[in-house]
Amino acid sequence: MKSKRIACVALAAAFLLPSLSLLCACDGGSADVVLRVYNWEEYIDEGGEGAFIYDELHLTDEETGEPVESDLVNDDYKQWYSDTMGVELSEDGPAILDDFCLWYEKTYGETIQVEYSTFGTNEDMYNEIVLGNEYDLLCPSDYMIMKLAAEDRLEKYDESFFDASKEENYYIRYVSPFIRGKFETNAGLETGENTPRWSEYAAGYMWGTTGFVYNPEHVEKEDLEQLGWNVFTNEAYRNRITAKDNVRDTYFAALGVTYQNDLLALDPASENYVETLTRYFNATDEKTVAEVEPTLMKIKKNIYSFETDTGKADMVSGKVWLNYAWSGDAVYALNLAESGEDENGESAASVELDYYVPKAGTNLWFDGWVMPKGANKKAAQAFVNFLSMPRNAVRNSYYIGYTSAIAGEDMLDYAKYLYEDEEAEDGDYYDLSYFFDGTVEGEASVFAGAEQRECRQLFAQYPSSDVISRSAVMDYYGEEANIRINELWSRVKAETLDAWAIIVICVSVLAIVAFAVFLKFGGKIDFFRRKPKKGYEIVKQDPVN
Amino acid sequence: MKMPRFSRKTLCIPYAVFLLFFVVIPMFVILFYAFTDREMHFSFMNFVRFFSDPTKLSTIVYSLVIALITTVVCILVAYPVAYILARSKMKKKFVILMLFVTPMWINFVLRVNAIRELFNWIGILGEANYFNTVFGMVYDFLPFMILPLYTTLQKIDVSLYEASADLGGNAFTAFTRITLPLSMPGIISGVTMVFLPSMTNYVVSDMLGNSKVTIIGKFIYEYFGTDWHMGSMVALVLLIVVFVSSLLSGGFKSEENVRGANL
Repeated sequence: MKSKRIACVALAAAFLLPSLSLLCACDGGSADVVLRVYNWEEYIDEGGEGAFIYDELHLTDEETGEPVESDLVNDDYKQWYSDTMGVELSEDGPAILDDFCLWYEKTYGETIQVEYSTFGTNEDMYNEIVLGNEYDLLCPSDYMIMKLAAEDRLEKYDESFFDASKEENYYIRYVSPFIRGKFETNAGLETGENTPRWSEYAAGYMWGTTGFVYNPEHVEKEDLEQLGWNVFTNEAYRNRITAKDNVRDTYFAALGVTYQNDLLALDPASENYVETLTRYFNATDEKTVAEVEPTLMKIKKNIYSFETDTGKADMVSGKVWLNYAWSGDAVYALNLAESGEDENGESAASVELDYYVPKAGTNLWFDGWVMPKGANKKAAQAFVNFLSMPRNAVRNSYYIGYTSAIAGEDMLDYAKYLYEDEEAEDGDYYDLSYFFDGTVEGEASVFAGAEQRECRQLFAQYPSSDVISRSAVMDYYGEEANIRINELWSRVKAETLDAWAIIVICVSVLAIVAFAVFLKFGGKIDFFRRKPKKGYEIVKQDPVN
Repeated sequence: MKMPRFSRKTLCIPYAVFLLFFVVIPMFVILFYAFTDREMHFSFMNFVRFFSDPTKLSTIVYSLVIALITTVVCILVAYPVAYILARSKMKKKFVILMLFVTPMWINFVLRVNAIRELFNWIGILGEANYFNTVFGMVYDFLPFMILPLYTTLQKIDVSLYEASADLGGNAFTAFTRITLPLSMPGIISGVTMVFLPSMTNYVVSDMLGNSKVTIIGKFIYEYFGTDWHMGSMVALVLLIVVFVSSLLSGGFKSEENVRGANL
């Protein structure tokens, strides 16, 4: 018996131990430093098949099936890899967290262990932080960075982190001037003197816009340009368009629908255009909420679904024609539709999808690395710098599908590698100087066909400076406004019955219950039946006697 | 070596500890959050807001109605199946029973996803969101209704039917006077297992109702993203609804011990 029990315990332990060690990248529990990173799900290069290095090393010719040399992961790249990480580049495609451990040990002479965990929404992450879970590095979105900073939950980056003359400060050396500018001015959101600057607390990771993925077979681009945000409420697209199942994104879209005419009347050349636009898209006062509510109701009636991730598949299958999407998801959907495979790798018809951004203005968003109070700043900043090496940023960007905040030659080469088409008949230079200037030598532009420049992956990945100039960042609404918006959202999501209907239903349910009770006890209920006193028992009389 | 002697009481300790940490304390935490405001001061604000908001009351009513329809449909489908299985002399009825039960072994998110694909293929996804939601719930919870019904129906003594026939009762009388009353415990435990979860199972309403159907479980989930206090209040109200409905169904239980699913 006893030996059996011991065997059971041993077996259980044997099963549990490996699962514990899975949580930590880099083996060896005796590392000098531990870095606890809390990031979005699937938001970092994980190596292996489907990651940049592996895929580039295993390229094959489409016709012959013969292996092909990669233009990007070439001998020069391999040399760089072994110089940086101190090991040869493996054919299996290393994961970026493992590489970080190698690099850190090589650079700082200390072993490091990364405890990496993930979250699904900004709110989940915030709850974890408030509950007292300790991390060294988080990756929240713009508004959550503002909330955390305003609540004084963040550490500032060191001044030396921003010293571009030091070689290891990859972030400041390669971050796009566009991102840097936005972070230094809090993206033009109204700021008082005491408002913390994002740049003090956050380092950019990924960014993008929101817009519509559409199916050009069913949706005319001219029609879309005519309607703008109003596609959400247009009868022609009834049950053919999806919205996001979260309050912030859909509220933003509803603001676009409600105030489209006012927004189009603004003069983009005017000095305070972005400020006005941002104010429009961040209005949460009672009057605005009251005006937006009927719009949201109309949107709900017109759309096919509120979704968070089914939209891509529904677009590819042709079930819906328009999907309100984040630009990174849009790139993914466009690629997927084009590939002739569905999400599970089954073959499907190859479809062309396009990306469109309303002229009246759209949402510009960022995710950035921040350090909560008590973080190990040295290791955290080293991690951010490591991810900011342009070649590592390319790896992450490839894996995640979103646009990295990092510029630099390697990033531009990657964009060219993906989208440049020198033989395009309608080709022209697509100007990306707003993003790459100062990090690359010479012209920062990609020569591509009209489609890529106007509505396809290149446009989704790096929106034109025209789109950028017409986009607004979403602010943190504040506690009071948040309650108002959430109440609005629940009114939109749920069906509200009239008071009489509630009463009728409640009364009928009660009646059914009462009827059932009556059936069960059938008048046998006798409230006055006395229970026998303690010690006395009712003795059943034997009828024979 | 002398083994320490366990009394029955000591054997209960692990469960009691579990109960304390994962049931009792969380309940108090919910109670605490439901009656405090953001500054953690005692407040009836959430209570007032809940009961003065027609949206929340409507959602409760909608959830009740969806759960009620689901339960009724489940009974209507499950009763004949369980009855036939219990009464038939089929040798292979175990196999048929297993056919109803095996879907429970597959993860239910996977099954709901499969239904979603099916509906998509037929073309009713997004067209009839409430119907789809109820269908998904019925599909999901049907085994929980069949099993207890089958167990209780099987236990009914055949001699009771012989007696009823002897006394001149026809098949209908035998059903209303013997089968139905004696299967009441099975119906009750089936109802508790179907009605209560189908009020909150928002995965089904999200996936099959395209997130356009909102039931009370989804409300709680969404509030816990932003406002724990209101979320706790909604959870508390749901708790009371659940408590009352199980109290009611408890009243119908006969003295006999009901064994639910015996598989």
